[in-house]
Amino acid sequence: MKRPVSRHYTEEELLMHYLHEESPEIGVEISNHMLECDECTAVFMEYGDLVETIQAWAVPPLPQEVWQSQKAVLAAQYRADLAAGGRKGIISSLQKSLLTAWNYALENPLPTLAYIAVAVAFALERTISTFRLDRILPGASEVYEILRQVL
Amino acid sequence: MVSPQSDEDLVLKTLGGEEEAFSLLYDRYRQRIHSTVYRIIQDAAEAQDATQEVFIKLYRSLCDWNPQKAKFSTWLYRMAANHAIDCWRSRRRRRESQPAEVGDREAFPEQPISDAILTPFGALEKKESIEQIRRCVDDLPELQKKVFLLRYFQDMKLEEIAEMEDCSLGTVKTSLFRATHSVRRAVRRGGGSR
Repeated sequence: MKRPVSRHYTEEELLMHYLHEESPEIGVEISNHMLECDECTAVFMEYGDLVETIQAWAVPPLPQEVWQSQKAVLAAQYRADLAAGGRKGIISSLQKSLLTAWNYALENPLPTLAYIAVAVAFALERTISTFRLDRILPGASEVYEILRQVL
Repeated sequence: MVSPQSDEDLVLKTLGGEEEAFSLLYDRYRQRIHSTVYRIIQDAAEAQDATQEVFIKLYRSLCDWNPQKAKFSTWLYRMAANHAIDCWRSRRRRRESQPAEVGDREAFPEQPISDAILTPFGALEKKESIEQIRRCVDDLPELQKKVFLLRYFQDMKLEEIAEMEDCSLGTVKTSLFRATHSVRRAVRRGGGSR
């Protein structure tokens, strides 16, 4: 006759024990406890039966022809995607670069602002010198000079 | 004897444009993906379509798989479970917006039972229990459903599922227990317990 024990294990602990999902030390403790406790053993057995019933829920098998036709459809789709892949590859790498830049900007706002300022100054200088804007818009060079000094 | 190629090899070859490698991945995982998807959606035709969609998603996002973060199978099961849950949600919305039809039961074809438990006296009782389980799983919250199916049918360890779902082991254990407990209640209500 087994001895009555004061501390019982919870149903969750017993289920985890059945599934071997607890730490090995606790596993040994529960096993030892169950040698003396009918109540915990009964719950453990009930969960064991339940898990066995759950795992008996089988899925109706698909006929071989279904797998074959699905495989053919997937292969055709794979080939089509591969053919269109070159263009997509460029777009996706551009998207990735933009995303990386955006993440960098969020993490380092001050250096990003400095980079933008340098890029704007460079573009401004190039624009003025290439299109000779100082001839068309008198004062453009002065504006640029002021901006350059500020930046 | 030719040793079977690892998932990693097949992934690399698929990324390199080798159709044969993709076919091998499909053959290796189709059954397990279909089982997971079927148990979530619980509709034969939709599960078939969803399985195909999972494999299209698979090769389109193969470059996102990080072997240092998760095993290929874990990553794939996660993708399959998430896709199936999306399909299940839209199926449920459709069902709720339409009046019940007589033909609705066709969505749940006869559930086969593993041969191991088929005995003359127990077969009917088991069949009833499985019907209760099926209905109960359909009503489980999403995380519980995912943990339940991946633990009992894909033999994934709870630690792996926790990593995959980006949540604590405790949360996953509680989810599995709650799901199993709900199923236990459902089976008892249905008179299927021993």
